[in-house]
Amino acid sequence: MPDIEVEDLLRGLAPQVLGAVVRHYGHFDTAEDAAQEALLAAATQWPKDGIPDNPRGWLITVASRRLTDLLRSEQARQRREDTVARWTLPGQLLAPAADRPAAESDDTLILQFMCCHPSLSPASQIALTLRAVGGLTTAEIARAFLVPEATMTRRISRAKQRIKDSGIPFRMPPGPERTERLDAVLHVLYLIFNEGYASTSGPTLQRTELSAEAVRLARMVHRLLPHDGEVTGLLALMLLTDARRPARTGPDGDLIPMAEQDRNLWNAAYIAEGVALITDALPRGATGPYQLQAAIAAIHDEAPTAGATDWPQIMALYELLMRISDNPMVALNRAVAVAMVRGARAGLDLLAELEADERIAEDHRLHAVRAHLLEMTGDRVAAHDCYQAAARRTTSLPQQRYLNARAARLSE
Amino acid sequence: MKYIILTYASQQDYDGIAGKASDKSAWSAADFVALGAFMEKFNQDLEESGELVETRGLAAPVHTRRVGGRLQEGLPVVTDGPYAETQEVLAGYWVVECESFDRATEIAARLGKAPAPEHVAARAFADVRPIAESRADLEG
Repeated sequence: MPDIEVEDLLRGLAPQVLGAVVRHYGHFDTAEDAAQEALLAAATQWPKDGIPDNPRGWLITVASRRLTDLLRSEQARQRREDTVARWTLPGQLLAPAADRPAAESDDTLILQFMCCHPSLSPASQIALTLRAVGGLTTAEIARAFLVPEATMTRRISRAKQRIKDSGIPFRMPPGPERTERLDAVLHVLYLIFNEGYASTSGPTLQRTELSAEAVRLARMVHRLLPHDGEVTGLLALMLLTDARRPARTGPDGDLIPMAEQDRNLWNAAYIAEGVALITDALPRGATGPYQLQAAIAAIHDEAPTAGATDWPQIMALYELLMRISDNPMVALNRAVAVAMVRGARAGLDLLAELEADERIAEDHRLHAVRAHLLEMTGDRVAAHDCYQAAARRTTSLPQQRYLNARAARLSE
Repeated sequence: MKYIILTYASQQDYDGIAGKASDKSAWSAADFVALGAFMEKFNQDLEESGELVETRGLAAPVHTRRVGGRLQEGLPVVTDGPYAETQEVLAGYWVVECESFDRATEIAARLGKAPAPEHVAARAFADVRPIAESRADLEG
């Protein structure tokens, strides 16, 4: 059995094992350590000894035994310190039991909900999701986010402690709360994807393993909630965006804008899958922001050339998006679409309005778009300055190199 | 009449059965297999005689939550793992339905023949208690 197959199997089982142990015994924080140790034991033993007949059962048994050991040393230490571990039962646990027995697949989803609990910061939600649901080790997560392992260890243990202290019960959030919590889950997956796709720091533009992990987790949530339009929309958006990755950077790692990309390099399988997903989701019920963004990505991906892009439809979709989300990035993208349909001047007028929004006024992307539009109007001097202003505002080296190159071209 | 037969063990006893030595030595593989076979036969006999209502073993004492009656900000207080390592606590039970307390006692006495290492057998015991079927039984 090759290591890679064992690894795939373990990553899929990780949330199920942790979910089963927490459902049975509680102690989210300690159970998480126990589950990780069981996964590590399997990762070293299975490639050598073969995969047991019931791998999930094997992992749950080993994790449960390990949990017992960890709890005993913890409780013994607490008794020595003469403090007994006490917590107050959350009021919701006094409510009547749920009306149906839990399915195994629920465990993975409940875990995902726990990891994206509103008491945690987005950075902690991301780290905990990657570890508890994704089954990544702390070292792997630290590497992906370019922080020292000790920093990531502290972040994860604080997050686990907070979940324990908040006393949230291991069960599906009730009705209206579930929608809200699902929004948080999708947002975390979206952030993980973006961190991988458009790295905010460091020398390489894409940390592809994070994007791949986000796609894997989105696929998992989609399997569990196949009829949720926004879950489908998010998965489609990730696939349709990631499809362009092979064409997005040149041989020297430099950034290539979409209009200049070699479309033959785009991932046709991802485009086909993403288009099928969004086509299936759109006619069903309320259309949320992920579905709209996926629809826009699909229009870009399906255009045979940049010139053949259906900009009026993209503009219309951005206008719908503006109505349901107050996001300055959406407004910025709409300005680009308007410029492509009605001319650069119309786009620049919209940018002038956006400059008052302090959420984006200092963002390099606003300056980069203005530079492009100024270049379209033929104002080379103003465009040159804007490209340089944009380059000063990004921390990404590939983006700095791209923006400075555009500026240099105009001063020739 | 229904009776409940209760057996007890400490966390250290659980460890011993799981093959881990503490202040008490661990069970050998032979001890463990013999106990399993004995219990299987014991339960099977009770089932055949129609006296077994239910039997269960409990997870290790370390996995215990004690829910107190005392309130803190209006909600019950829960204590994790309230038992000391050597404290003997409920480990398992049988609910039997049989003609008399004496018959229930006879059933429980068979448990005394359960194979076990000497240091465990010497201290093992079971309690038999009649089950109150109704409020009238309690008030009787």
